[in-house]
Amino acid sequence: MKTETIALPEILKTAPITEGKVSIGSLDDQVLAHVEIKPPLVWFVAFAITSSVMLIGMALIGYTIATGIGVWGNNIPVAWAFDIINFVFWVGIGHAGTLISAILLLFRARWRNAISRFAEAMTIFAVMCAGLFPLIHVGRPWVAFWLFPYPNQRGIWPNFRSPLIWDVFAVSTYFSVSLLFWYLGLIPDFASLRDRTKGKIRKFLYAMLSVGWRGAASHWRHFERAYLIIAGLATGLVLSVHSVVSFDFAVSLVPGWHMTIFPPYFVAGAIFAGFAMVVIVLVVVRVTMRLENLITMYHLEVMNKIILTCACIMGYSYLMEAFTAWYSMNDYIHHTFKQYVAGTYWWAGWTTITCNILIPQLLWVRRFRRNYFTMIFVALAVTVGMWFERFVIIVSSLHQDYLPSSWHIYKPTLVDFGILLGSFGLFFTMVLLFARVLPVIATTEMKTVLPGTRPRHRGGEHE
Amino acid sequence: MSNQAFSVLGLFDNAQSLLDAIPSVKSKVSARLDAYTPYPVHGMEDALGLRKSPVGGMVFVMGLIGAIAAIAFELWTEGVDYPLVTAGKPVLSWEAFIPIMFEVTVLFACFTSGLGMLFLLNRLPLFRHPMLRSKSMPLITKDKFALAVEADGQPLDVDAITALLRKAGAQAIEVVEQPAPPDPISPSLLLKVAAVIGISCLVAGYVTYWGVKLFPLSIPVVHMLDQPRVDPQRESSFFKNGTAMRMPVAGTVARGHLPFTVPSQEEAAALANPLPRTDDVLKKGRQAFATYCSVCHGILGNGVPTLTSVYGAKPANLASQQIRDYQDGKIYYVIMMGKNAMPSYAADLSEDERWSVVHYVRVLQRALNAKDEDVRKETLK
Amino acid sequence: MNENGNTRMLGVAAAAGLAGVVATGLVAGWERFWINWIVWFLFVLMVGLGCLFIVALEHVVGATWSVPLRRVPERLSGLALLMAPAALLALLSLPVLYPWTKPESLKDPVIAGKAVWLNMPFFSARVVACVGLWILAYRIFVSGSIRQDRDKDPRFNVRARRFAPVFMIIFGITITVVAFDWISSLEPLWYSDVLGIYIFAGTFLAGLAATMLAVLYLMKRGRLPGVKPDHIYNLGGFLFAFIVFWSYIGFAQYMLMWYANLPEEVFWYKARLQGPWGPLILLLAVLHFLVPFFVLIPRSAKSRPKRLFWVAVLMLVAHWLDLYWMIFPVLRQGLLFSWPELSFGVFFISAGLLWIRRAMTGGADMPVGDPFLREGLEFRL
Repeated sequence: MKTETIALPEILKTAPITEGKVSIGSLDDQVLAHVEIKPPLVWFVAFAITSSVMLIGMALIGYTIATGIGVWGNNIPVAWAFDIINFVFWVGIGHAGTLISAILLLFRARWRNAISRFAEAMTIFAVMCAGLFPLIHVGRPWVAFWLFPYPNQRGIWPNFRSPLIWDVFAVSTYFSVSLLFWYLGLIPDFASLRDRTKGKIRKFLYAMLSVGWRGAASHWRHFERAYLIIAGLATGLVLSVHSVVSFDFAVSLVPGWHMTIFPPYFVAGAIFAGFAMVVIVLVVVRVTMRLENLITMYHLEVMNKIILTCACIMGYSYLMEAFTAWYSMNDYIHHTFKQYVAGTYWWAGWTTITCNILIPQLLWVRRFRRNYFTMIFVALAVTVGMWFERFVIIVSSLHQDYLPSSWHIYKPTLVDFGILLGSFGLFFTMVLLFARVLPVIATTEMKTVLPGTRPRHRGGEHE
Repeated sequence: MSNQAFSVLGLFDNAQSLLDAIPSVKSKVSARLDAYTPYPVHGMEDALGLRKSPVGGMVFVMGLIGAIAAIAFELWTEGVDYPLVTAGKPVLSWEAFIPIMFEVTVLFACFTSGLGMLFLLNRLPLFRHPMLRSKSMPLITKDKFALAVEADGQPLDVDAITALLRKAGAQAIEVVEQPAPPDPISPSLLLKVAAVIGISCLVAGYVTYWGVKLFPLSIPVVHMLDQPRVDPQRESSFFKNGTAMRMPVAGTVARGHLPFTVPSQEEAAALANPLPRTDDVLKKGRQAFATYCSVCHGILGNGVPTLTSVYGAKPANLASQQIRDYQDGKIYYVIMMGKNAMPSYAADLSEDERWSVVHYVRVLQRALNAKDEDVRKETLK
Repeated sequence: MNENGNTRMLGVAAAAGLAGVVATGLVAGWERFWINWIVWFLFVLMVGLGCLFIVALEHVVGATWSVPLRRVPERLSGLALLMAPAALLALLSLPVLYPWTKPESLKDPVIAGKAVWLNMPFFSARVVACVGLWILAYRIFVSGSIRQDRDKDPRFNVRARRFAPVFMIIFGITITVVAFDWISSLEPLWYSDVLGIYIFAGTFLAGLAATMLAVLYLMKRGRLPGVKPDHIYNLGGFLFAFIVFWSYIGFAQYMLMWYANLPEEVFWYKARLQGPWGPLILLLAVLHFLVPFFVLIPRSAKSRPKRLFWVAVLMLVAHWLDLYWMIFPVLRQGLLFSWPELSFGVFFISAGLLWIRRAMTGGADMPVGDPFLREGLEFRL
């Protein structure tokens, strides 16, 4: 038996959650200060750009509603195109936020606390962008309220058997629960802001928003329990919401859409795209707001590992789809899958495969996981690739399905592109506003994971 | 004294010292203890002897109610109230109702958790709590930890408690004053308002449902009916003659109706009856005759009709010698082109039907001029 | 009952079971024999693979709370290797149960098209390749961990952490191959691409349940000193989460096929829902989802040994029921359950328990050489 102890290799050592000296007092000063000072010029320039893009998008939406869906490229058979692609894209991006704030809370991953606030905010903004599309693509948005079940003179109820109605319920539940969860987490931070701020109006506002929170232990126990329970339920939401979105396609008969793997495949894809967006935004936040000691390279590396995991799951899913498509010996499915890589939109299919599976393999190399340029390159590739994946699934399957006499090419119009860009504008405008108005790191939650803040428990068993 | 102490706070620098101080203070005071911390401290519940939170139970019950309410509502609306058959699925298709049931369950559970915790259990919002006006509050939300001995009815012995807290390790002491008058907007008021709104929504929904069922007063939305297109039987200013419906182009041949180019009845005599004299053909002829011809010519074709009083004209007796002498083609010509007061029946009868009517007319002619040898022997007896 | 008494009893039971197993083939027919063999072989394989997956997962994530428990699934994963000879034996079942082995099935163009994948040589090669990869993973994870007991070399952790993500990919592909080859190809006209994930969910659950049972067994006998209810809580939490995940995948596959109602997919479900199979699938839903879900919802339930024990037993029973429900309807002979199934059950359970008992003797019950053992034992919720 060897008596000498071999030293622990560097790679096994647990990285610290924060770098440098961070105390619970200095945390407040560092993070909450951004809410109290005037933003730098860079912020104003960025805001000007994003809000202009957003306004152009809004104008084009107004034009669509006034004139009709004909200004888009949708036709028969490609009756769904950019509208639903953008919807699925944005809902997917929202899922990363819930995963970080809810699922990682359940796993007690302490590194999550530095990024959970931002991630949740991104979820809410992404779901807002997503919710825009079902609203404007219905053709008669002024009667969109018909989708809700209320007693009416037509005597009829919405068709609860339709996955489109499931979508209405799922996305609205997801939005309201995410908003509630985010707000609850903000209450103690609002209390901190209320007690720090000097301006009278601000103090009044923060006092209102913090509903008189005073940090009582008798309150904390209810708060923690409620927060944990909502986190557990939100986990179920993450799985179910994007599965319901996938049901939009999978319950149909369109070849290439009716694949039973769609629910878990879409959820994995959502997490994939969402984490890529989180990485991009966090790198920017980290650098511009000088939060490198709180959002450390460890955080970024772990998120890149998750992106890599999801890329492998996507690879598995693509393999399964291709294999099962062949295995089914169904001529229509065979044709559809050939179209994905060798048909009219072959370039979209290859973009998807390259961006979603090949490029993220760079993240196997540790150096690339910790380098800004490579990780942003991979994250951008993933964002583009995931958008194109939905394009391939929707447009490529629809444009040539069962009846050759119905085959038709789809060409998007400038309005389609404008609205897509406008949604990005909306998202980033809200992100910029959030970064200036609310604390971007959940300071209260962060305080619980700083070294030395958790007392040694004296004896006693748990439950 | 008008300003009795609400509570005495002992401030500590970190969570550990606060947790360590609690047992010694708890054993010596009978008043209520609470702690104020910038973040939830692990083990504080047990140290203070606080009961476990009932949030879990509330959530479970409300989640269950949500699940049952959702599935019952779906089954009732799609299966009972207005059964919708979609894609041939059975109306009580529970498989399709599960996703919404799940979402509604999560919705009910999450809102019970969040809002129940805030309003019911924590009794927030509460803006006039004395702690919020204390000097320690800003310190607490930043980085200090406080142990509070709160007076719940009985006055506090401030000096004794101060000494006790200092002995337990408190860095600073603060005495918080008596509370201000109660909040106008209390959580119970909010809950009452929410309950009233909720119940009125349910009642309004129920009343609306029966109201629109029993008194469908408002016109349903008819946007799809009211479209800028030309409808049959309507006017249209687009065309010169003002009607929406157009005549077919001259020379249009209807399906199944070949052009008839025979100029006169004499020349029609050359046409031959293409149909054989079979039972089927005669039956068809009889039916067509009964439908179109018998009104004027009579059911026996002898010119005794049912409509003479209306028309005044005297229809031909098809069994007369003149018509018996007609060739098949001449009878056909009359059906096609009409004769005197009789209009053309070309549009009403197909070519086959016309020729079978010709056969049937021959049958009638023979029947009305029957000779003994035309009748079967059994009948004669 | 002392240990030796238990072993003797299990030995007798195993022998009796074996007699019944052999008798099944000779008396009840080889179809019956092989179908039971397939179900049980897959059952034990999935328990073993599930445990191997647990070990790999712990290395991928770098979790420390699970280090004290890790030796349990490491030992149990040997069951997967034990199934290697069973798999080779199961190859003999192919001509009996699997339609695509019969030459006349190639008349069907669908099966003929798949023949490049579904043929004996390629099938056997896939079985050998999968088993080879599992043996490789076993050597890296388990043999390496046992070796670390002696040499305390932390470089094992580095090796394991580097290999673990690669193993995840290997596992994903091999478990899908198992699902498609052994289960799906029993009805070669059917296809479902989520089957690999469905079987993965069942595999992980089976591994978790078996691990839970073994951990509780060892804890009761004091062989895992330092392992607290906090550790069990985490294991219980995983069990709860994956019960929900399995149900979600199972429901999704069923609901999608029900909704589209394509004859080429839905016939598989039709055979498994009609007649006596309908109540059986209801029983499966109750045992595999409803009961364990509601039992494990309360926070306290997830760390109570007695409750977790019974839930884990239930999960293993439900797992067998899941395989039974997927595989037995292939025979189209209704609900077959009598002495053959019972003898197979008695044999495999007793022989399995005997093997597990032997695997758990000798060597440390915890990975004593792992540098993170101390941190793992100090874990608190």
